[in-house]
Amino acid sequence: MIELRDITKTFSSRQENLLALNAVDLSIDTGEAFGVIGESGAGKSTLLRMVNMLERPDSGTVKVDQTDLTTLSKKELRQEQKQIGMVFQQFNLLNNLTVADNVKLPLTLHDYADPLTLDDVLAFVGLSDKKHSYPQELSGGQKQRVGIARALITRPKLLLCDEPTSALDQNTTEEVVAVLKKAHQEFKMTIVVVTHELPVVKSLCNRAALMEAGEIRQIVKINRSSSEKTIKPYLDRAREVLADD
Amino acid sequence: MTEWLPVYLERLVDFTPRLLESLWETGIMLFFAMIAAVLLGLPVGTLLYMTADGRPMANRLANRILNVLVNAIRSFPFLLLVIAMQPFIRQVYGRATGDPIAASFPMVVIAIALYARFVEQSLMEVPKGITETAQSMGATNRQLVFKFLYVEARSSLVIGFTTAVISFVSYSTIMGVVGGGGIGDFAIRFGYQRFETDIMYTAIVLIILLVELFQWLGLKLARKLDKR
Ligand SMILES: Nc1ncnc2c1ncn2[C@@H]1O[C@H](COP(=O)(O)OP(=O)(O)O)[C@@H](O)[C@H]1O
Ligand SMILES: [Mg+2]
Repeated sequence: MIELRDITKTFSSRQENLLALNAVDLSIDTGEAFGVIGESGAGKSTLLRMVNMLERPDSGTVKVDQTDLTTLSKKELRQEQKQIGMVFQQFNLLNNLTVADNVKLPLTLHDYADPLTLDDVLAFVGLSDKKHSYPQELSGGQKQRVGIARALITRPKLLLCDEPTSALDQNTTEEVVAVLKKAHQEFKMTIVVVTHELPVVKSLCNRAALMEAGEIRQIVKINRSSSEKTIKPYLDRAREVLADD
Repeated sequence: MTEWLPVYLERLVDFTPRLLESLWETGIMLFFAMIAAVLLGLPVGTLLYMTADGRPMANRLANRILNVLVNAIRSFPFLLLVIAMQPFIRQVYGRATGDPIAASFPMVVIAIALYARFVEQSLMEVPKGITETAQSMGATNRQLVFKFLYVEARSSLVIGFTTAVISFVSYSTIMGVVGGGGIGDFAIRFGYQRFETDIMYTAIVLIILLVELFQWLGLKLARKLDKR
């Protein structure tokens, strides 16, 4: 589904040239839930943003379903981007729009043959009662679920998540991971999750790339059986940590 | 102590028709300035924003040209701008003096430049993530502007517009030099040149009330629009 070949990306500033991605190769299969793990500055976001061309590589090819996105015209690219959903660390909701209008926003940009209905997608993320609220009135976890609903309403073939839980506390993290997991099971799209939080990848993904200094060091298969405990509720975790000796 | 009051009221009644006429002239100048601010200042300001480095329509040359134009107009002493535009106004409108419509030409020019800058600033306050979100959805630049940037910047655009209109009131007061009339010109003629001080203060109070009214309306609307 996704084929990145020999991707190099340099950010140049006045002082220095920063090699954010160094000859990266990566293949992700259709329907996979793929994680990208690494410390801050490793190049995870840059890698993810290559997949929907928010960032263009200096060299290399980015293929999504056999189409090389780097060669497309702007118009052709928009037609590809229309089928790729994205979820952001800071949610990026429009604060002046209601939950309903935020979620429907992608449908006002393009025609979609078979989108979800607003009510279905809000029910799916558990926010049916917040339809007419503004983002300002929501908690972080609720805001991120609106962000996920906005991405899901188009039935994307590919869902990109950049640190989807990093602005949330551990409990809300669990809530958001659960929604992403359910979305993957129900809609069978390919998911790529970038995060520095290991438990998120462990509970959500089949495989993960470990990144460091702009390179993929290793790709690991995730052992599901040992990960069944997933993320525990806050009080259980607190009890474990505090009573631990 | 109170005997000045009937005298003042009588004079006020005498002057009222001319006061109303000058308010009407101010209204005409403000009307053209406001229309220009919205129809031209808004797009110019949006282009200033969109063509800057790192933005979706990044274009050094276009951005440089717009910036130079806007800065040149804004730094031009307004009185000189009015005078410098006289030949042009005569060309396109037939006459350059003695009429609030002729006087609206320089108002229009300053209105575009002034509001364009406010618009650019309002758009800069929108988080960069909003633009990224639009682009990730495959939005065109037009959709980015209308469905994302203007939506998030709307209350700030209204506040900027209010501030601009209040400046227009101030600019309009000097249009008397080319016979454009208006409430400011009225105050100057009767207060400064004919020492009808009470009438001058009446006109000044009216100008202040006008400004207060705009400020109040603008803030009210901006608050209503702001859901952040
Ligand atoms: N737009 C940019 N301009 C300059 N440098 C950037 C930009 N985006 C990322 N970088 C740099 O590239 C490197 C990788 O960044 P990023 O992909 O965001 O890392 P991660 O997501 O793993 O934290 C970092 O050193 C970062 O500072
Ligand atoms: Mg990142």
